[in-house]
Amino acid sequence: MRPVTKKWLFLKISSFILIPLMLWFVINFVSFYDKNYQEIVRFLTTQPSKFLVSLFLIFAFFFSALSISEVLEDYIHDEKIKNAANKALNIFAILIPLTAIIVIFNLSL
Amino acid sequence: MENNNPLSPHIQIYKWHISSLVSIVTRITGIINILVITLICFWFAILLFGESSYEIIQLFFKSFLGKFIAVGITWSFSFQVLSEIRHLIMDLGYGFELKTTNVTGIMVIIFSFIFTILIYLLGRQFI
Repeated sequence: MRPVTKKWLFLKISSFILIPLMLWFVINFVSFYDKNYQEIVRFLTTQPSKFLVSLFLIFAFFFSALSISEVLEDYIHDEKIKNAANKALNIFAILIPLTAIIVIFNLSL
Repeated sequence: MENNNPLSPHIQIYKWHISSLVSIVTRITGIINILVITLICFWFAILLFGESSYEIIQLFFKSFLGKFIAVGITWSFSFQVLSEIRHLIMDLGYGFELKTTNVTGIMVIIFSFIFTILIYLLGRQFI
């Protein structure tokens, strides 16, 4: 399979998985965004929200990294700048969700 | 090796259509959403510092600006979800006719607002 085909397939599969996760997350975000410390920590430390938020973060960053790399492909002319931007994007897409998941798993009331 | 692939022309060259409008808004909301999700990650990280550090964030979200941003995020997520569903349907080979693309494009725009209201009412347990 050609790398571009593989990338397109990953993009579509992650999009398909992300749609219900996004809907679930945004409904819960609306319910907890102005709640107090205890309520938010309780939401993040109990199942299934602990697992689903982690899954949502992994797929959101994975999907975004693939989508933004498509935008970079379309609009950045210089190969070196494009490669550097893609590397920075990949590091960002791994580091941020990983840190957030570690935080979630270390939260307690 | 030199890459001679053609690059996309800049967006101001195209004549605006519903499809191009939905496409560019999808890209913009995609970037907004990932920035928002990154901020949400930082928000979660602040929780580690305890209850007293969290008060200022709760005060912000209780303000008019905080609520306005929460509604804006809901719209941005709704638009992205609907646009992705439209894309997945098109990937299956449906909806390429000019009239259909216009109708589905308009549906994405209109339903993004309806979804925002429904999600907000559902999240706040009004329904």
